[in-house]
Amino acid sequence: MRSALHRFGVLCALGSCLCGGAAVAQPEDGQAERATQILREVDDLWRGSSSHARVAMQVKTEHYTRNMKMEAWSKGKEETLVRIVAPLKEKGTATLKSGNNIFTYLPRTDRTIRLTSGMMLGSWMGSHFTNDDLVKESRREEDYDAYISFEGERDGRQLLEFTLLPKADAAVVWGKLTLTVLAGSYIPLEEIYYDEDMQVARTITFSDVKPLGGRERPAVLHVVPADKPDEYTELVYESLQLDIQLSDAMFSLSSLRRR
Amino acid sequence: MNLLSLALRNVMRNWHRTLVTTLAMAFAGIIMILFAALMEGLMQASERNAVAMNLGDIQIHAPGYRDDPDLYTRIEQPAALLESLRAAGFRASARLYGFGLAASGSTSAGVQLRGIDPRAEAGVTQVHRHLLQGRWLDSGDRDGVVVGRKLARTLGVVTGDEVVIVSQASDGSIADALFRVRGVLKSVGEGVDRAGFYLLDTAFRDLMVLPQGAHEIAVLRADRDTDLDAATAEVAALATGYETLDWRALQPVIARILELADAQLVFMLLVVYVAVGMVVLNAMLMSVFERIHEFGVMKAIGVTPWQITALVFMETLVQVSVACLLALGLGWWSARYFQLNGIDLSGIASAASIGGVALDPVWYARITPDALLLPVGFLLLIALLAVIYPAVKAAVIRPVAALHYR
Amino acid sequence: MKVNKLAWRNLWRRKRRTLITAFSIAFGVLLAVTFTGTGDYAYTNMIDASANMGLGHVTVEPRGYNETPSLDKRLQHADDTRARLLHLPGVSNAYVRILGQAMFASAAKNVGGVFLGIDPAAESGTHNLLLRSLVEGELFPAGRGHGAVVGSKLAEKLNLSLGRKLVYTTSDANGDIVSEIARVSGIFRTGADEADGSMVLLPIDAVRDTLNYAPHEASLVAVIVDDQRRAETLTQAIAAQVGNPQREVLPWQRTQPEIAGVVAMDRSGNYISQLLVGLLVAAGILNTLLMSVLERTREFGVMMALGMAPRTLFRLVITESLWLAVLGLLLGVIITVPWFLYLVYVGIDFSAAIGQDYSAGGVLVDPVLRIRLYRESALAILAGVFTLTLLSGLYPAWRAARVPPVQSLKAL
Repeated sequence: MRSALHRFGVLCALGSCLCGGAAVAQPEDGQAERATQILREVDDLWRGSSSHARVAMQVKTEHYTRNMKMEAWSKGKEETLVRIVAPLKEKGTATLKSGNNIFTYLPRTDRTIRLTSGMMLGSWMGSHFTNDDLVKESRREEDYDAYISFEGERDGRQLLEFTLLPKADAAVVWGKLTLTVLAGSYIPLEEIYYDEDMQVARTITFSDVKPLGGRERPAVLHVVPADKPDEYTELVYESLQLDIQLSDAMFSLSSLRRR
Repeated sequence: MNLLSLALRNVMRNWHRTLVTTLAMAFAGIIMILFAALMEGLMQASERNAVAMNLGDIQIHAPGYRDDPDLYTRIEQPAALLESLRAAGFRASARLYGFGLAASGSTSAGVQLRGIDPRAEAGVTQVHRHLLQGRWLDSGDRDGVVVGRKLARTLGVVTGDEVVIVSQASDGSIADALFRVRGVLKSVGEGVDRAGFYLLDTAFRDLMVLPQGAHEIAVLRADRDTDLDAATAEVAALATGYETLDWRALQPVIARILELADAQLVFMLLVVYVAVGMVVLNAMLMSVFERIHEFGVMKAIGVTPWQITALVFMETLVQVSVACLLALGLGWWSARYFQLNGIDLSGIASAASIGGVALDPVWYARITPDALLLPVGFLLLIALLAVIYPAVKAAVIRPVAALHYR
Repeated sequence: MKVNKLAWRNLWRRKRRTLITAFSIAFGVLLAVTFTGTGDYAYTNMIDASANMGLGHVTVEPRGYNETPSLDKRLQHADDTRARLLHLPGVSNAYVRILGQAMFASAAKNVGGVFLGIDPAAESGTHNLLLRSLVEGELFPAGRGHGAVVGSKLAEKLNLSLGRKLVYTTSDANGDIVSEIARVSGIFRTGADEADGSMVLLPIDAVRDTLNYAPHEASLVAVIVDDQRRAETLTQAIAAQVGNPQREVLPWQRTQPEIAGVVAMDRSGNYISQLLVGLLVAAGILNTLLMSVLERTREFGVMMALGMAPRTLFRLVITESLWLAVLGLLLGVIITVPWFLYLVYVGIDFSAAIGQDYSAGGVLVDPVLRIRLYRESALAILAGVFTLTLLSGLYPAWRAARVPPVQSLKAL
């Protein structure tokens, strides 16, 4: 899904990451091949060559609650542009992800700053995502091996659960990821990040399935860090268009400054 | 027979010898005083240095802040606390800390934002005097910042240049603001050199949306000679609910290194005492043994051994008293000179720091009562001890033997 | 010759006084040796320890790296350079290293720090303090593996133990952000918080891959020399060998100015102490010689009346002071040698005076006072004692030569 969900790192967990033929692994070969096959289908469902979305973000932490509205464009896997629409104080602030680099435009000081490696692990826009999450998600398919770890009925629903194990040389801090999707429609329900001790580190739940970008998709994405269960970041898709015409100039430093 | 006047007459009669002996002792005393004052200065300087750039004597933090320096772990009512600290005779300065990205042109670097009140800070630390270029913060200049030496180099900025700071404000929003570099610091320790970004506390509050609270209160004793432990206890009593630690507890490694250096300085001082003892011993031995013929003659005409001993001691007392007075005067004068002028080592030591704490390259002497009186007391004591042997020898010598004495 | 003999005899006319003066010279020698020797020992230790933290005594690096180190500045053909430097006399070893800043992350946390890319085949604890301080695990094997040796404090902060993952994020040769994984193979503890809390050793080949460096590129070549005092001289020789204007060859004084500053300050403090003690000893000698001249006034008067030239008298007293110096030095050697040996092999432990839990001893300061004397320091002390004694003899000698014959005889 080189789609709208992409630029929010984690959320895209579902599609793109799992795609690609590289996804081989675990039990028997036949099983692994089937996982790859299904994940490709999941990915195809969500794939878009480009996207445009309007998203509302709510962040709740121990210290603040923050509501933002933003507009986001993406093209391919590597290019993403996010621009804040509200609140007024931050209106016009924009983030451009191009390859491994992240640039931020700050309208108040009229400066564009390229994030250094030291800032990569800092919070993105005060949310529970790091800048690194934005970069890493597009590498997901290279970084993980996937297999189906559960298939059948759970809580009255037919589900598929994938387990993603980071490859030995992948620059990933997690121990593993699990992704649960509805069998048949492949609509994602939940993604869980585990640390190296296989303790839950963060949980992403998908909900409010409704027509978006011409298909049924979950419009709400809810992230909870395991060490702070009272905090969350929630993304709500207000609109989504896929496979639209976007010029490369859209993802340049000069367009970053345009309001 | 008036012992004192006899002794005086003897001393005056051999004025050449008296002069040599007295001057030798006085010189030893001067050296001791100067050395003690220089060592005292060095010890105090190392402690002062350790606290002068940043630490202060005592610091107050909200519990847990030191383990995890978090924007939200704050001292909630710093103003009231500052007031009560000042009322108790302390100097105190509240500080705000945060992390951010500083960018200038195409370069950027992570920085530690240090929001301070320049007036209060100047009462506690000396960092405002350690500028390599430009000037220190001014409460009227909201955009002005002062940066560490290495940071300035990394960013490629000099005085007058613009720097953008980006961070995350306490309400989660993006904090960004434009500042102008007013000054660049000299080397004041690795942390500040590499990432120190000083700005006004008011500017920090605006940038980080932090209307109140402080992350740290640094406290300095008004009188450096008061007991640190007692002062710490006093501050802790005022700052209930917060963590109060003195600089030794905050920087145990540096405290240890300084203690070690102090122990070695005391060792050196002892060594100098021994050297002085030897000089004085020799001087006293010579001045008595040279006159052994004279004592032999005195014995021959019926002066008792006790009288001779008393005479020798009295003469010694006269000489050493003069030496002590000379030592006190000239020692004080020379130590005073180095207390005011210092020995400037900055030519050979541009950036000295131990464990991240910069050292002041100017070495000042410091006159304390101990540095003046201990050497003089020692001089008196060692002279009187040193003269026992020759005095007894002179007292008991047979007149005939004295004539042939070598 | 005659003056020599006379001077020697004169000295022994006052045995006790001569011995005490000689002993004070000896004591001066002892002190000078102690002060200089502990300095030589401590500075060498400090400088070597600092050099062994990564940059070496002499560093070959890209021009401008010292001022603003960054990973886009790099040396080409660093291995060739190293090979050439190894043959230089006085060079103990040289190491090709990549040094840069990075963010280190585990699932628990992330912190900023410094990584040092090293060649595990070439490095050992000998010239790498971090490896020498390994407390757990081992050095990673050579090759492109993902090993890492991390500081104990850093491991604690990131909740790392042996075998755990560590992701480092930094900027590559082109300034792009890159990140790579490493697995903890070892943990070191030097006792210096700065190193333990922020440094990570990584295999240089893996670092090159991560940073998009060519196979023989590196940040620097760290040269370890046999004797730190020769670092500056060797810097010239190394620069001549390197012979590339794009490269800078810098001694430790330039790359590690903090240590250089501490050494310089401590040394000048030490010299001032020695100077003061020297003055004391000189005062003692002056006192002795002056006394002996004063009490021989008549004697000198007679000698002069008998036709001895004032110059000969001057020489006589100077020769006496010379003999005194020889005697003092001899005595000095006798009392200094056992003390010196004691300090070399045992040392004085100051840690008791400053509390037991002295953990920071490893790198910066040794709580045990030990000694090491360089030949030139020993020669300097010898020369110093001689000069001091001769200088103190000048005034008494001048006095002796100035004795007016008639007046002194009158006193007879």
